[in-house]
Amino acid sequence: MRQYIFNRLLQMIPVLFLVSIIIFFIMHALPGDPAMLMLAGAEGGAVTPERIAELRAQMGLDDPLHIQYFRFITGAVRGDLGTSIRLRTPVTQLIAERFSSTLQLSLVGLGFSITFGLILGILAALKQNSWFDMISMVFSYIGVSMPIFWLGLLLILIFCFQLNWFEPAGGTGFKSLILPGITLGLSSAGIVSRLTRSSLIEVLNEDYIRTARGKGLKEIGVILHHALQNSMIPVVTMIGLQFGSMLAGAVVTETVFSRPGLGRLIVNAILWKDYPLVQGSVLVLALIYLLVNLLVDISYAWLDPRIHYN
Amino acid sequence: MNKRVCLNCLLVIVFLLSLVGCAPGDQAGATGNEPAPAASSQPQGNTPEAEEPAKKGGDLIIAVPANLEPASFDGHIDPFQSTWLYDSFISDPLLILAPNGEYQPALAERWELSEDGKSWTFYLRDDVYFQDGTPFNAEAVKYNFERVKDPALGSAQLSDDLGPIKSVEVVDEFTVRLNYDAPWATLLDGLRRMPIWSPTAADKYDKNEFDKHLVGTGPFLFTEWVANDHVTFTRWEDYGGWNPIQNHEGPVYLNSVTIRFIGEEAVLGGVVANGNAHIAQELPAAYVVDYQDTQDATLMTGYQAGTGLQWVMNTTSPPLDQLKVRQALLYATDQDEINEILYDGLYLTQKGPLNSVHPCYWDGVETMYPFDLEKAASLLEEAGWRDENGDGIREAHGVPGVENGAPLIIRFSALHHEEIGEALQLTYKEIGIDLKVEVIPGPVQLDRVNQRDFELMYERQRSPDPRILDQIWNSKYDQPGGWAWSGLKIAEVDQLLEEIAASSDIEYRCELAKDVQRIVMENAGMLPTLSQPVYYAVDNSVKDFLLGAEGNWFFLNNAYIVD
Repeated sequence: MRQYIFNRLLQMIPVLFLVSIIIFFIMHALPGDPAMLMLAGAEGGAVTPERIAELRAQMGLDDPLHIQYFRFITGAVRGDLGTSIRLRTPVTQLIAERFSSTLQLSLVGLGFSITFGLILGILAALKQNSWFDMISMVFSYIGVSMPIFWLGLLLILIFCFQLNWFEPAGGTGFKSLILPGITLGLSSAGIVSRLTRSSLIEVLNEDYIRTARGKGLKEIGVILHHALQNSMIPVVTMIGLQFGSMLAGAVVTETVFSRPGLGRLIVNAILWKDYPLVQGSVLVLALIYLLVNLLVDISYAWLDPRIHYN
Repeated sequence: MNKRVCLNCLLVIVFLLSLVGCAPGDQAGATGNEPAPAASSQPQGNTPEAEEPAKKGGDLIIAVPANLEPASFDGHIDPFQSTWLYDSFISDPLLILAPNGEYQPALAERWELSEDGKSWTFYLRDDVYFQDGTPFNAEAVKYNFERVKDPALGSAQLSDDLGPIKSVEVVDEFTVRLNYDAPWATLLDGLRRMPIWSPTAADKYDKNEFDKHLVGTGPFLFTEWVANDHVTFTRWEDYGGWNPIQNHEGPVYLNSVTIRFIGEEAVLGGVVANGNAHIAQELPAAYVVDYQDTQDATLMTGYQAGTGLQWVMNTTSPPLDQLKVRQALLYATDQDEINEILYDGLYLTQKGPLNSVHPCYWDGVETMYPFDLEKAASLLEEAGWRDENGDGIREAHGVPGVENGAPLIIRFSALHHEEIGEALQLTYKEIGIDLKVEVIPGPVQLDRVNQRDFELMYERQRSPDPRILDQIWNSKYDQPGGWAWSGLKIAEVDQLLEEIAASSDIEYRCELAKDVQRIVMENAGMLPTLSQPVYYAVDNSVKDFLLGAEGNWFFLNNAYIVD
């Protein structure tokens, strides 16, 4: 197992290297000059070409692209992702500040998604073709198809403005995470419930389940000890992917609920052509995504003893 | 077996995961438990009460659009109005632009301009000190001017506003003089925004760190900034009431001010009505009606002198290199109708390069291009644009620089307010113009402008000073990074604008500015549309909240909250 993990970690290096190249050159291919934006703002005042040239030189933007890339990647290897052009703060510091907020939000979203997705999926599978099954699957369709921003606004209107149970923006603690977490997790809950249902139904029709029942085991024992574990591999895979997506894609939820987070940081950085911040953030997100997927792969062995990584 | 037991607990674990991952109160530095404003049930206006409350104070919460959050709170660097506004809580400037539009002394007791217009002398108050105890004097002011002008600081607009300072002279302990090689008439417009920082504090921190430790002479201390969330200022108990707007001695009434940055319009629209904030700044037009008839809040409207929402015409390439085509667009634009359809008439209609609340507005623009589709159509005919294939869109027929048969397509490039373009689309279609509306981000706008790759490009400048015309219409700014995008080069306009920049006589400058407006409109250099007011929803528990002369500026020196 250790060798497997070591190999997977090694495989991450070329992936991250490729990600760094792609994001670096995409950012530099986009229109707009960060120096001009810095000086003039989006709707600012007059700026002379001399001032722009001066600032470009200060930022190192007048160096050839390969020099700039080399500077970025050697810094990244040392853990230095540079300094944000617009916020004038080290990128690592900005990411660290925002990441905890996004991680909290994603964990709550994931918790909601797993809890409701699994419960609905399991019950729907056990009561296949019943009214409950139909209703729970309608719920999962709604979860999958509802746009995040619309759901967020709906929750705000109902629970913040009508019922006054929550603050619509800002706030601290677990309470401030409930509505954003539901918003972020509902779509994923729909996917998890559908996948759990179909996977569990398939397992429940296997011969060994019939054998277990024939041996006189209690139904709850059959489901929990024999069926559920074997149906979890595709679900865990999906949960891993969903968690990665939540971390990277919380921007809409963060915007609707006015939460500080990595998503909003990156979107603003893209708009302002803040090269170091975009490059650094994307690199960190890619690393997290790879690590989460590694954890998912490791969990397979735990879920299914037939899987070995020797 | 052990694994299976664990699996049985999966549901419990994942549920606990959500709780463990979200321990309360661990968001760095957040101050989320501010008391929610008490919505008053009494129909009170936003005027001083006849009955004084026992103790004036309160923790004010102001909700603002997220895009008003500065990148840096150091106004010496950041070129945004909101930065300078928040800086005014921390540091009084040398002078202010009072709500009546006049410059009034703040940290400077008075000032003089030399007869040749090349030297400004400021006589400073002698009873002021900074929040860290550093004395406020001529040396401190000199330090601030030199800091802004230091290229290493990377100051944007403020450095330009101060102009080409030749030297900063400390005449005596409380007198400082700025010397120029040529008259610099617009200095006061820059100084009203310029915060005066404590030299001790500015020296203590790196320029990238100082914006988190700002120290000035203002009524509030800079307490906490959680990016993308909020910034909090708390009352400075030793404040001397040095802002002329303040009607009492000593510190301000409010205990604290929290600015919340709201990412979603619908949330901003509802925070005051639902008691989550006391004030919503830049209330979206769609939510204005919610506050027009309510008893619990007051709707305040601020107007911003400037250019309004204008679309500069690219006169350097077809089809807008033809004066008749540009004039046709002006005749085919019905600003009143757009205002009614889109904004229930809440915006100001704009007919020229300056909006109607600008002190140098020329009202002659109102009759220059009355809405007249027939006239617009005939101008297009004369310019060689006819619809001969009957598809409803005109094609070029003998138009210089355009291939015969090319359709009349004009791009309407907007950073926001694209709905104005969509409204124009319908009208322009009637006269055979295919208007393509596109929304572009700021970087793309600047890139397009530099390459002159546009037809109608959004531009808005905000200032009560006529010098904004200089930035947009003086052909010397027709260069990368400049804001003269139309490509018009009119010697008379350039001459007038140079005179505006050099003169300190406000009436004379306005007269010159009116000539500029006339000439620009005769040459149809831009498409004026509307001016966006700044709406504030103010809970009636807030008293003496005072709007400035500019719509997005306000004063909190006398404000307080009643229970």
